Amino acid sequence: MMDKAPRLTAEHRDDLVAYLDGELDESRSGQIDQVLARSEVARHEVEALARTWELLDVLPRVAAPTDFAETTMSTLKVAETRTPITDQPWFEYVRRGRVVAVWAIAILLSAAIGFQITSRWVPNPHEEVLRDLPLLEKLHQYQDVKDVEFLQQLKKINAFAEPVGQGGSP
Amino acid sequence: MASSTSVPVAKEDSGYLHDPEVQLMLRAREDDDEAFSQLVKAYQDRLVNIFSHHLQSQEQAEDLAQEVFLRIYRSRHGYVPTARFSTWIFRIANNLASNSRRDRGRKREVAFAGGESSMMGVRPEESLVQEKSALMPTRQLDKIEMQAVVHEALLGLNERQRMAVLLHKFEDMSYQDIGDAMEMTPAAVKSLLSRARENLRQVLDAYIQIHKSA
Repeated sequence: MMDKAPRLTAEHRDDLVAYLDGELDESRSGQIDQVLARSEVARHEVEALARTWELLDVLPRVAAPTDFAETTMSTLKVAETRTPITDQPWFEYVRRGRVVAVWAIAILLSAAIGFQITSRWVPNPHEEVLRDLPLLEKLHQYQDVKDVEFLQQLKKINAFAEPVGQGGSP
Repeated sequence: MASSTSVPVAKEDSGYLHDPEVQLMLRAREDDDEAFSQLVKAYQDRLVNIFSHHLQSQEQAEDLAQEVFLRIYRSRHGYVPTARFSTWIFRIANNLASNSRRDRGRKREVAFAGGESSMMGVRPEESLVQEKSALMPTRQLDKIEMQAVVHEALLGLNERQRMAVLLHKFEDMSYQDIGDAMEMTPAAVKSLLSRARENLRQVLDAYIQIHKSA
């Protein structure tokens, strides 16, 4: 498949790299061997990739200082006596509590905002009843009044006068 | 960050108990500092080497290597062997390296001497090497110059490509192990390394022939 293709696809290239790294199974590796035998493009590609990889050998091996282990162990012992607050066992409970608190605040806030929105924008079906409540509370009395003339007669006999010494509400 | 050292709280997988380093870590879990010291000695050079090439700073590399050991030491009492020790330590190293670079990016710190360049951008010292080479295209680059060129090519890779290359080149890790350390599938590692190799090849193409005839 590769021999007729002037350029290698990304998948082919992936396989060639894996082939160089010895990461292909036997079957796929055999297929790549056949491709390499047929395709000069593939052979050139493999050679270039291999040489690129070899170039990395010039990179120096950087070593830790000779006292690194000793210094590190000392640092670890010191650090352990000063365990960060986030590594304290109880901090996990604080962390969880903080999450619960945040959720609780968020829920309360949402409820408050929701209430405000609904009270402002959604009409209250009880609003009319509440407005007429004083009237409704004395409706049975008003129903006893047949007409205006009867009220005028009551007024004449001073029936609406408040008892002496009692002021305030009607 | 905290998750980088966390190990699943599960039953110990006996499959990893044959790993001598897991055995050392199990001893360290029981506060055996000598065992932990052996682990530090076994991995100090390996970590410093990887971090040095990844971050291009010996000082930062040593600090990060120490931070890796510090995290492992702090979490030792909860250690459960669910992977080879090397896989676990390089997973922590990878996470720390990523976080370190992110933090430095946020702080907009000035890169250390020999800092990053990208595939698109070229730093002065990089162009200096290239200029020298251009003036004398046929001469052999000496080892230091070649190191600088290869280093620049390595730094031109993105962070994940570079880490994968370093783990594969220096630690001889398989795709599976790199995937475990970098939390990727082996197929993704294969693709990542392939792109990394191709990027390196493009940058180093001119030097391959020189190196070939060296």
